[in-house]
Amino acid sequence: MPPTSSRVELRRLSKRFGTVQACAGVDLHLGAGEVVALLGENGAGKSTLMKLLYGVYPPDSGDILIDGRPVIVDSPRRARALGIGMVFQQFSLIPALSVRENLMLAYPGAPWWQGSSAGAWSRVLQRLETLAPEVHPNSKVAELAVGQRQQIELIKVLNLDASIVILDEPTSVLTPQEAERLWGMVRQLADSGHTLVFITHKMEDVMACTDRVAVMRNGQVVEECRVADTTEQALVTRMMGGSLSEDGLRIDSPRPRAHRVWMKNISATRQGEHIRGIDLKLMPGEILGIAGVSGNGQHLFADAMAGLVPLTEGELIIDGEVVVGPKMRPAIAGRLGYIPEQPAVNAVAGDLDLTINAALGRFKALALFPDWDAERKRTEELINAFNVRPPDPALAVGQLSGGNLQKLVVGRELATPRELIIACYPTMGLDAGAAQAIYQALFKQVSAGACMLWISEDLDDLLQYAHRIAVLHAGEIVGVIEAKQADRYSLGTWMTGGVSSSQSIAETAALDP
Amino acid sequence: MKGLAAIVQHSSSRGALSALLFTLACLGFFWLNGHQPVALFREMVLGAFGDGYALSETLVKATPILFCALAVALPARLGLISVGGDGQLYFGALTGTAVILALGDLSAPVMLPLMLLGAAAGGALWGALAGALRARIEVNETISTLLLNYIAVLLVDYAVHGPWKDQSNLGWPATSPFPAGAILPTFFDTRVHLGLLLAVIAAVLLYIFASRSRWGLGLTLLRSNQRVGRGAGINYPLNVLLVMGIGGALAGLAGIAEASVIQGRLQGGLSAGYGISGFLVAWLAGQKFLLIIPLAVLMGGLQASADSLQLFAQMPSSSAVILQGILFAIVLAVGGRWRERMVP
Repeated sequence: MPPTSSRVELRRLSKRFGTVQACAGVDLHLGAGEVVALLGENGAGKSTLMKLLYGVYPPDSGDILIDGRPVIVDSPRRARALGIGMVFQQFSLIPALSVRENLMLAYPGAPWWQGSSAGAWSRVLQRLETLAPEVHPNSKVAELAVGQRQQIELIKVLNLDASIVILDEPTSVLTPQEAERLWGMVRQLADSGHTLVFITHKMEDVMACTDRVAVMRNGQVVEECRVADTTEQALVTRMMGGSLSEDGLRIDSPRPRAHRVWMKNISATRQGEHIRGIDLKLMPGEILGIAGVSGNGQHLFADAMAGLVPLTEGELIIDGEVVVGPKMRPAIAGRLGYIPEQPAVNAVAGDLDLTINAALGRFKALALFPDWDAERKRTEELINAFNVRPPDPALAVGQLSGGNLQKLVVGRELATPRELIIACYPTMGLDAGAAQAIYQALFKQVSAGACMLWISEDLDDLLQYAHRIAVLHAGEIVGVIEAKQADRYSLGTWMTGGVSSSQSIAETAALDP
Repeated sequence: MKGLAAIVQHSSSRGALSALLFTLACLGFFWLNGHQPVALFREMVLGAFGDGYALSETLVKATPILFCALAVALPARLGLISVGGDGQLYFGALTGTAVILALGDLSAPVMLPLMLLGAAAGGALWGALAGALRARIEVNETISTLLLNYIAVLLVDYAVHGPWKDQSNLGWPATSPFPAGAILPTFFDTRVHLGLLLAVIAAVLLYIFASRSRWGLGLTLLRSNQRVGRGAGINYPLNVLLVMGIGGALAGLAGIAEASVIQGRLQGGLSAGYGISGFLVAWLAGQKFLLIIPLAVLMGGLQASADSLQLFAQMPSSSAVILQGILFAIVLAVGGRWRERMVP
């Protein structure tokens, strides 16, 4: 680490949101003309760390040094004055205006009526021609492709004389071609002396255009090294987890029996996302983990199995009966427990009360005129069983915190015996005690014979609890392996799309009854 | 249900404010017209509720308004904003009349149910048409119901100017008078008719089903979070068709009742803006079915009192429409974020 040439130095930066420690004493150096990848899963704290640098939030503790001098960055305005710029995932362009108008609107010290100032415009135009030659200054922003809009957004930041540029997940919205273009721009900027931070969870970004990589996990930098000195597999492994924790929870392997759930040759499409030919079988009492880097079709797969997205091909068969298939109404009511990601949006009606939301899990089983007193009692039981706070059945669900909402949803989905449980990050954002309670509830159902599909980005959890782990990459299952025989390294390889050991797949195929 | 109680309280305090402002605006309007405001306001109230006859005429006007208000409030349960009351009213009158013309002179016990069914089916079709466009290809229901209004009004015009025109009636574009069996029974020697009873029963039934039943909960749920509602196994397109269809059927009943009792035949000018009055009532009531009943009577009173304004103050009868417009504007202003007001 070269502290003398550091443009930016972050010392012991910490930030806590409620019970979540988003950043826990992070140290980071950014050198002049260097591109640093900030790599980590969702919620690892990468964006928070950079927002501390950009002045969006004040840090709880720690120091920021620029060119060796300690500074206080208490607002984005202050950050910009210090030469720090940030390109967010949400663009702030005005679609109805032209590229030129958008750029001049944001030009420092130049209000819109001075947008025609020849001197300022020629500097901006020169930058536009260098960095985005194919964008015509008179095109409306609404007519530009996403990648081009991002280029304009980046030029806006550079116009503010930013020499330290933060890109927040810039490739998450780009096509592969646009991403390549962006990588080129990043290298171009670094060569002209800019310092760049590239926030991402994609390995290809790291490999393509960055000099150094800092891996974040649970609010800490767990690895920092030169990209040339590491490998994709090593990075994935670091990103996904540290050591196994022992918490005494055990779930027995299922006794080999006939299959209960068969996801047969599943294909589906939603908004440009695809899953193709997924074929998995689960025995009663089996937990199948679905591992994969976020954005490889996990959410589409879960929604498709929950009957929320029409299948283009394939069937979900439970106990020999087709319950989800193309051109049919899903027959999963009462059989399937679904804990989706982002439950606040995907699992509850926020302006309705806890009682109604708790009753949703068995909506079809309600009487024509439901007995609300009985429903309230059930809700109170659920609240007690899962320690939902505040314990008020009449409260609008939107008032609950994320963790309590998660507990309510899990409690609702597991209130009756299920045949199949699909759980997406069921313990995300929960403290250890609450997570424990949710694991217990899940495993109780599994012990009673339910099949569980567990979608996670946390390999530790999957390796510890799942019986088998399937890896999803680019919408397809690239491998299935017994959890006991799995190791982080081979899983990491599969997760990045490579097939390192055909032997282990063959082995698994043989084991897969 | 604390949240629900808060909304009720909130919206009724808004209602009280609206009523106060409206009274003041009425007084101001009369004053600007050079009248004794308080005296004329009193005449107006008496003209609507002063005696048995006035009250009966108020109820006559209130009946189609009540039907049309229900036709707005039910779709609003699903977050849909229908302004199609008039179109459904006209189309229901058209299909109800078709039943009468096809069957001819039958006894009332046979004719009336068939006539009402025919009208309800027509109104339902007109409402469900907009519903289907919404459910299948996401056409905005407010626009489609608005435009369907014109089509229905013109269809009735076409029918009474053309194929159904009573030739013995010289220049007047109307069907021949309905046979005696096709006239809805009236009460107490007034023009208050069976339609009022049907409308009140419909309001009570809708209240019970919408607020207590699983179906009503499903509507609330779909409005709150459609994705979650669908996940719970509730069929969104079907429910769009249902609420638009049932609403349309009720407005259709209003149409045939007007033609049967008030006009005695089908002719143009069937609705004195009942659809839009109904929209206003539904909205004033915060889409609450029971509250719609008294508000429809008040709105009927406002329309009926136009006669007394004419009589006592020589103000044009369109004054009632102006006052209704003022009321609407006041409620809009008080309601502020009006999408929020659509929440029952």
